[in-house]
Amino acid sequence: MHYFTRTAIIILFCTSLSANLFSQADSIVKPDSVLLKQIEQQLKSSGQTSTPVQARTAPSTLPDISVVGDFQASYKNNVKRNFDAGINEAELSLQSVVDPYARADFFITVGRDPVTGKFSTDLEEGYLTTLSLPAHLQLKVGKFKSAMGRINPVHSHALPFISLPDAYQNYFGEGINDEGMSLSWLVPNPVFYQELLVQVTDGPIDNPSFSRSVGNTYFELAHLKNFFDLSANATLELGFSGMTGENSFNLRTNIAAMDLTYKWKPVQYNTYRSFTWQSETYFSNANISKDKAMNTFGMYSFINFQFSKRLFFTGMYSYSNKPYSASTVENSYSATIGWYATEFQKLEIEGKTTSSNMEKEQNQILLRWIFVIGTHGAHQY
Amino acid sequence: MKLKIVFILIASILTSAIYATKINVVTTTADLKSITEFIGKEKVDVSSIATGYQNPHFVDPKPSYIIKLSKADMFVTVGLDLETGWSPQLLSSSRNPNIQKGSNGYVDASVGVGLLQVPSSINRGEGDIHIFGNPHYWLDPVNGKQIAKNICDGLEKISPENKTFFEENLKAFDTKIDLKLKEWTMKMAPYKGVKIIAYHNEWCYFEQRFGLVIVDFMEPKPGIPPTPSQLVKIISEVKSNTIKVIISSPYFTTSSSDVVSKQTGAKTIVLGTSVGAFDNIKDYFDLFDYNIDKLIQGFN
Repeated sequence: MHYFTRTAIIILFCTSLSANLFSQADSIVKPDSVLLKQIEQQLKSSGQTSTPVQARTAPSTLPDISVVGDFQASYKNNVKRNFDAGINEAELSLQSVVDPYARADFFITVGRDPVTGKFSTDLEEGYLTTLSLPAHLQLKVGKFKSAMGRINPVHSHALPFISLPDAYQNYFGEGINDEGMSLSWLVPNPVFYQELLVQVTDGPIDNPSFSRSVGNTYFELAHLKNFFDLSANATLELGFSGMTGENSFNLRTNIAAMDLTYKWKPVQYNTYRSFTWQSETYFSNANISKDKAMNTFGMYSFINFQFSKRLFFTGMYSYSNKPYSASTVENSYSATIGWYATEFQKLEIEGKTTSSNMEKEQNQILLRWIFVIGTHGAHQY
Repeated sequence: MKLKIVFILIASILTSAIYATKINVVTTTADLKSITEFIGKEKVDVSSIATGYQNPHFVDPKPSYIIKLSKADMFVTVGLDLETGWSPQLLSSSRNPNIQKGSNGYVDASVGVGLLQVPSSINRGEGDIHIFGNPHYWLDPVNGKQIAKNICDGLEKISPENKTFFEENLKAFDTKIDLKLKEWTMKMAPYKGVKIIAYHNEWCYFEQRFGLVIVDFMEPKPGIPPTPSQLVKIISEVKSNTIKVIISSPYFTTSSSDVVSKQTGAKTIVLGTSVGAFDNIKDYFDLFDYNIDKLIQGFN
């Protein structure tokens, strides 16, 4: 009996203690019933309504308008005018969807001639792109930057260096942007992204490799882009380009090019850290007479490393012949430090040295200040 | 053996038929993906471009996303220029007329949402200002209901035969929001009016819903990294307001808030801004469960 009494007392004590403890715990975790009622009333009276719906900013049919300013200063040795500074280029862009079937993009540049200092206006690009062709086709008509490799389609202000690679300049000058049509096809490849582009244009003007034909020879280009997601943070792009057109000897030049780009950008911290390694090679076959062809080669390779949200470094090497001279050998090295204030403004300083077996060594220091006002479309990845 | 082959063939045909009948949806963010899955359930196949631990302002427009978009029946965007740096380019490269702006397959989840911080004038001198208002509206669960309604409307346009199914799911989603909102509000009730510091101006909807008071931001202006003078200002504000918590997001480094923490003792808490920000945030409801629990831990 005594045993049972003691057991009952212990059980009662434990029960009351645990009930007390649990009620305390409940009071910590759950608000009391008064608070619950208050909250329910509050929810009821407010009807959970969020902020009243306001009228949105007035819709406009105006296109996206922006101006990109490119201020540059440079010092070069072994030239008559060593120091130069000024507005290198101002680019006005107008971009908009035309209707459900197409969009239009226009880029008008006002550029400064480095020799005369005079400004001239040019239509850098102006094209219409379809949005609704069947079979994953897309047609572009107008004047546009040719889909040759990785550098040519990109506007110079978006590149992470100031001076274009010598190999690229030796073969394509300031770049190929030309009038004609471009048809791209998204290859139905289930494994990786593949895009095939075919372009037929009038032929570039003032280009080291090609010349606009007075006859019926057009500039033809094909580019196959292969893009692989190596991981969530890393990608690889491998491109093959082939182009053919008339040269200044009124004969044909054929160029085969290959580009390889590796990018690492941690998804979570993609605004703080990134690394890019990009290379292109050019093999040129230029017919300079009916029985003589010149085979030449050029390549560049650069790395771009982002140290912090605002600080970037680019180091580049370039090796090149000239389109009509296999004996010319040019080697150049450059280093660029970029400080990106925001996505709308950046400052870059670059040192570059170019040695050639035909000319004196040239050293240069370049400074560039790029800014954008207005709404400017995103650049390709 | 022959029977086995016939069976496998029939099974694979049936599987592919079922898969083909699913509505293929691509969303810009993981929150929109989660809500679309609540509304579309087994009738949708949803993928998100941005991950939950990624800054949705700065997604790299990788060509591989174009493949997803080229096959999509529906595209859901947060809108209000949140994705302006990447989604328009991807959309126009997709060659898919069904998901272009103005098409039935284009869903702007912000339609009908009451917006906060709508600027009366636009000046980039104020930092990354969004011309239509603050675009982080999904961080108020009540706005989740409007997002779900917009997604439901979009799905109904594409698949009108499943109208009732989607609307029932919408109703269930709204009911769950109502229930959970009571729980979240109760949990946060003791902390109404508590002052905090945030890294970036992306919490105003959450702040308003749960009665917190964001005193200042680590960024001196939206999108501008913290400066030494801003940190000095924040330290003094934390001290004078006895602030206990600094909230940040998974895609910002905590180096500057750690400096403030060292000087003041305030805790830096990394909250989830989207579904998938952390492993245990698997859906839209988990997002608020996680954030509220984390905040309460921080306050205590």
